[in-house]
Amino acid sequence: MRHYVIIGSGPGGIAACEAIRRHDASGEIVVIGDEPYGYYSRPGLAYLLTGEISEKNLFPFSQEDYRHLGSKFLHGRANRIQPADHTVIVQNHTTHPVVYDRLLIATGSTAMRISNPGCELEGVVKLDNLDDARRIIKLARKAKTALVVGGGITALEIVEGLVSRGVKVHYFLRGDRYWSNVLDETESRVIEERLVDEGVHIHFHTELAEIIGNRGRVAGVKTTKGEMLKCDLVAVAIGVRPRKELAEASGLKTDRGVVVNDALQTSDADIFAAGDVAQVYDPLTGKSILDTLWAPARDQGYVAGLNMAGQTTFFHKEPAFNVTRLACLTTTIIGAVGRGDDPDLLGIARGDSETFRQLPDAIAAQSNFDVNRLRVLVGTSTLIGGIVMGDQTLSKAIQVIVANRVDITPIRQHLLTPGVPLGDLIADFWTRWKTTDASKQS
Amino acid sequence: MPALKNILKQENTRREVLVTSYVVPDAARCVQCGICSFNCPIGIDVRRHAWRGEPVKDSRCLTCGECVARCPRGVLRFERTNLFEPEKLDFRGLLEAAQQSLLVEHH
Ligand SMILES: Cc1cc2nc3c(=O)[nH]c(=O)nc-3n(C[C@H](O)[C@H](O)[C@H](O)COP(=O)(O)OP(=O)(O)OC[C@H]3O[C@@H](n4cnc5c(N)ncnc54)[C@H](O)[C@@H]3O)c2cc1C
Ligand code: SF4
Ligand code: SF4
Repeated sequence: MRHYVIIGSGPGGIAACEAIRRHDASGEIVVIGDEPYGYYSRPGLAYLLTGEISEKNLFPFSQEDYRHLGSKFLHGRANRIQPADHTVIVQNHTTHPVVYDRLLIATGSTAMRISNPGCELEGVVKLDNLDDARRIIKLARKAKTALVVGGGITALEIVEGLVSRGVKVHYFLRGDRYWSNVLDETESRVIEERLVDEGVHIHFHTELAEIIGNRGRVAGVKTTKGEMLKCDLVAVAIGVRPRKELAEASGLKTDRGVVVNDALQTSDADIFAAGDVAQVYDPLTGKSILDTLWAPARDQGYVAGLNMAGQTTFFHKEPAFNVTRLACLTTTIIGAVGRGDDPDLLGIARGDSETFRQLPDAIAAQSNFDVNRLRVLVGTSTLIGGIVMGDQTLSKAIQVIVANRVDITPIRQHLLTPGVPLGDLIADFWTRWKTTDASKQS
Repeated sequence: MPALKNILKQENTRREVLVTSYVVPDAARCVQCGICSFNCPIGIDVRRHAWRGEPVKDSRCLTCGECVARCPRGVLRFERTNLFEPEKLDFRGLLEAAQQSLLVEHH
């Protein structure tokens, strides 16, 4: 009987269990997790904050599902991997190392912390997991004013959550616009305007210097320019980093994340990595990159699981894409759309991909209709990325066109003509492509 | 160029096709947040269908569109019954087939 051990019960870990079970009915699967809750929807935390769902809705699997998977959950933190004798030391179970034949590291990522004076005060929060969400909800009951610093999707999810709970929100941006390395200026402005409409106070060119406490709790903040702001909650979303320490300490090859080959195998043949923690080769850019996205975590976990069960399979990275809500506006980000750094983020954000910023030589074509905005990045003969805000009619089309590297030469010149109705042009092209080349679909 | 209008028109005429269609998920967009299941008036676990990439073929489905409208990520849509073959919609199977065909190409 084979022993499979999975560290982390996120979508990567769970998908690995499913893949293993599909091919090995009798092997033992142990899932080690340091959160007591097991598998739940991390992106769903945003909707827990807004009150759209309750806690129990976060859990996709029933007891029956777990029975079906036949996996054992071990609550505790994996402290050390000992590749030489194929064991994992788990906190609170140190006298009984867990033995593995095949191991998966699916430890996800964790929020980066700030180190400003006062950062340890009660009332300074982040949003990584269910405990964090509970903390924010509890604090929001009493809090009148909150400050949010950071960028990307998570910062706005916290903003939205607090606004919907009746907390007055200030949002500090270091630069002159929101998410400047993924969105273009118009897109940033669309989001900012909507935030202002919701009553959010955005402070541009403003940086947090110090959090001021009163009896151990947040009472206000001071900016680098010396301005003071009274508040009782400070939420930080300045990016995440892969939880690669465990892999690092056991001598596995790491870079920004845990380095894997296209079978998702680490530098140790019996140890695999998947999800936010894995640094995976991306054929679109020719680089090895990080994603912090649900779907790739699941797909990678599944492929790693297949390999662990002896079904040699390669992971083929699709262009990254994410559908999300920014200031209540449904937004799809596909492939490469921006470049450079964002002063509000120290690393990759949640729901992010390094691919989004791998903008090679491409020309942007864009068009506005009402609040709906469409931007596509036109390469020499393909579309390499796109952002669809508002009406999502075309997001699937653009995703398939980017993913399949469809030759867009017939409409390329049109796409780049200023003022062209981009939506119609792409819809028309898409309809024709679908009917003439339907076999390439999905 | 009428194509976009046509697609939008399809949206507008959705009501007319409700009776003859299923709710179909695009699994790759789903983040398992549970909003769909929570809002289904008769308690169908739409999220589970989205995880598996299977259409909601539950005869109790009212095709009320609540799940489709509430999903924050455009995962769900109505599709006519005769437009797809259900066995092809096994998401895991599809992925596996795709990955393994790649494997074949490698060799
Ligand atoms: C608020 C929020 C919003 C998000 N929004 C989006 C979005 O819009 N779209 C999108 O695609 N993605 C989004 N994501 C990201 C998505 O949830 C992650 O990409 C995905 O969960 C990654 O899955 P994973 O399996 O790699 O790891 P995770 O889901 O992070 O799970 C890893 C688990 O391992 C545990 N663990 C770590 N180290 C150890 C250890 N040593 N021992 C034991 N257990 C350990 C962790 O506690 C955690 O429970 C969001 C995430 C958050 C938090
Ligand atoms: S509401 Fe949408 S994203 Fe959420 S679980 Fe349902 S289908 Fe998935
Ligand atoms: S269409 Fe209505 S009844 Fe059918 S699954 Fe969706 S919410 Fe439930």
